[in-house]
Amino acid sequence: MVKKLYWMISKDLLSECRSLRVWPAMLLLGVVVALMFAMQADLPPERLRQIVGGLLWLTIFFAGTLALDRSFAAEREDGCWEGLLSYPVSPTCVYLAKLAVNVVALAALECVLIPLFAILTDVPLLAHPGPIVAVAVLGNLGIAAAGTLLAAVVNTGRQSSYLLSLLVLPAVVPLVLGAAEATRLAVEHDFGPSWWRWVQLLAAFAIIFITAGIVLFEYAVEE
Amino acid sequence: MPETASGRGFVGYLGYAAVAVMVAAAIAAICLLAPTEETMGDAQRIVYIHVAVAWMGLACFIFMAVAGGIYLARRDLAWDHWSRAALEIGWLCCSLTLITGSLWAHAAWNTWWTWDPRLTTAFVLWAMYSAALVLRSGVDDPHRQARMGAIVAIVGALDVPLVVMATRWFRGVHPQSPHMEPAMRVVLGISVVCFTVFFTTLLLLRRSQLRIADMLEDMECGGLPPLSETAGDFPRVLEG
Amino acid sequence: MAVEVRRLTKRFGRRLVLDEIDLAVAPGESIVLTGPNGAGKTTLLRAMAAVIRPSSGDILWFGEPARGQHESRRLIGMAAHENRLYPHLTLRENLIFAARMCDVARPRERAESLLEAVGLQAHGDRLPPVFSKGMRQRSSLARALIHDPPILLLDEPFEGLDADADHWLSGLLQELRRQGRTLCFVLHDELKVRRLADRVLRLRQGRLLSDAASPAAVAHWSPAVQGLSAARVA
Repeated sequence: MVKKLYWMISKDLLSECRSLRVWPAMLLLGVVVALMFAMQADLPPERLRQIVGGLLWLTIFFAGTLALDRSFAAEREDGCWEGLLSYPVSPTCVYLAKLAVNVVALAALECVLIPLFAILTDVPLLAHPGPIVAVAVLGNLGIAAAGTLLAAVVNTGRQSSYLLSLLVLPAVVPLVLGAAEATRLAVEHDFGPSWWRWVQLLAAFAIIFITAGIVLFEYAVEE
Repeated sequence: MPETASGRGFVGYLGYAAVAVMVAAAIAAICLLAPTEETMGDAQRIVYIHVAVAWMGLACFIFMAVAGGIYLARRDLAWDHWSRAALEIGWLCCSLTLITGSLWAHAAWNTWWTWDPRLTTAFVLWAMYSAALVLRSGVDDPHRQARMGAIVAIVGALDVPLVVMATRWFRGVHPQSPHMEPAMRVVLGISVVCFTVFFTTLLLLRRSQLRIADMLEDMECGGLPPLSETAGDFPRVLEG
Repeated sequence: MAVEVRRLTKRFGRRLVLDEIDLAVAPGESIVLTGPNGAGKTTLLRAMAAVIRPSSGDILWFGEPARGQHESRRLIGMAAHENRLYPHLTLRENLIFAARMCDVARPRERAESLLEAVGLQAHGDRLPPVFSKGMRQRSSLARALIHDPPILLLDEPFEGLDADADHWLSGLLQELRRQGRTLCFVLHDELKVRRLADRVLRLRQGRLLSDAASPAAVAHWSPAVQGLSAARVA
């Protein structure tokens, strides 16, 4: 299973590198949304530190949804999705492969957005990169876990992309809250019980939704 | 409780009458029996309805998820009828929760909205209900609709405890139950019981409607039409 | 039996597409599904490939449930209307990916041998969207054969082919029959049906009308067997 996982992830990343259909649009959307937020958030530095985590994670969410949606939409061309499901590979493996690709996409997005927010808002997001990276990894896992499963549901029903945002946003409210608060506390160099509590919430979210994805993905993709 | 959508029969009408009496009794208790709260006055009475619909909104969500899970296991559309009915009634209850919550917040703090953990949870639930309704409305195939609805319901149900925890921690306080005199608690109890019965009746009615609508659609679409006796309408490979 | 279909029913929404289909295909047998458009041929083929879930009924491959273990999908190779090739991977990369997904030992060598077998070794580094119809059919067949499946399901494999490609494909399918593979086609061309099929199944409006030995197959049987054979009507 691990080998097949590796080959499926490689296939998706190679396809994306050659086609450049999703990532540029996702990065551009992230940058534009970040600029719009920064334009509106003309506040004193201490207020900015309090809200920058929320703005950052909302931007990651909206731009990242593009990648989540396209991870399945692209497979629908030329019957590739049916082809993938006809291989002797478990739906769990397919889910984990899509999850991994989405995590990589979100990570690429954050590599651009975090420094961008730091520049636009003058908030020292990169002063303590370790905790910020930890929050980003857990946040990515959570958004990708819930988003991959719901993207499979939406794309199976041939619904529009807008519906994915409509479905995923309420579901990831605790994750966005948790990531925003953990980011704020990291910026304020406050790694006390509060920070750990939020990190645990992010980890719990990721574990719960990865498990749910593994169990429910098969039902989401059947014809 | 009557099984049919129209609820014909003496027992059916008796049941509806009983529910109507219970709702009237609850409203009477709220208006007449409950003492007037010191600071908020009569506006405080809305909390008796708010708590009842909020509890039903949450209960419908969990019921929807359980019914959806059973559908996935058994592939019996009867369970999806329960799930769909719970979705619609739950959406209604959540909407009423948000409305009554706003009215209460305005009376208490002169603001139409507050990010109180309970209201925030109700809002997230309402958003998930709404998304599920929109998702279902775009799909014709009843089994595909049922599968999608079940998955969304289960995802939402897993999410609810996380939403509650996150919103409580975000506000930095544990929600305090407002101080209630014994008489107020009694009225709250009456209201919750009566409105639970009312909305459960609506759920049963709606489920019956869905079941009958499904049966009618199946009868309309039917099976395959009878084969016509035709000759030579496509190559007959068996002929010489 | 290589493939068994038991009381297969399939609905898409409210629409009944297949109605209690029963059929059995012996190992090494070649059957053709014919019928007018909308008869349910492609749906039946997809159900036999376990790509779609039946509303009721069972599909068995060599006695095992088709929708049981996912490893059993190695038994099936399917060439459908769509070529199922990733547009941003070269043909060679597509075949290697398919080989790896099917646990083929030495996937690169296998991909090369199949490119040669279908006559596309010169096009291995090209992307599928630029292929002609004939090339797409050949690539689709190569992909279906990559893991050497005992059962092949082919949906209108001759559609859109020119005379040369048509001739080549007929030869390939005869060779696959000779190798003892179980073949299920959807075909409309009567001549090809006679040449390629042991049995012909006629569908109409989701029902199996008839299931009979094809005349070409019958011609090879002994007179005694010919006398005993009768059309099996569902």
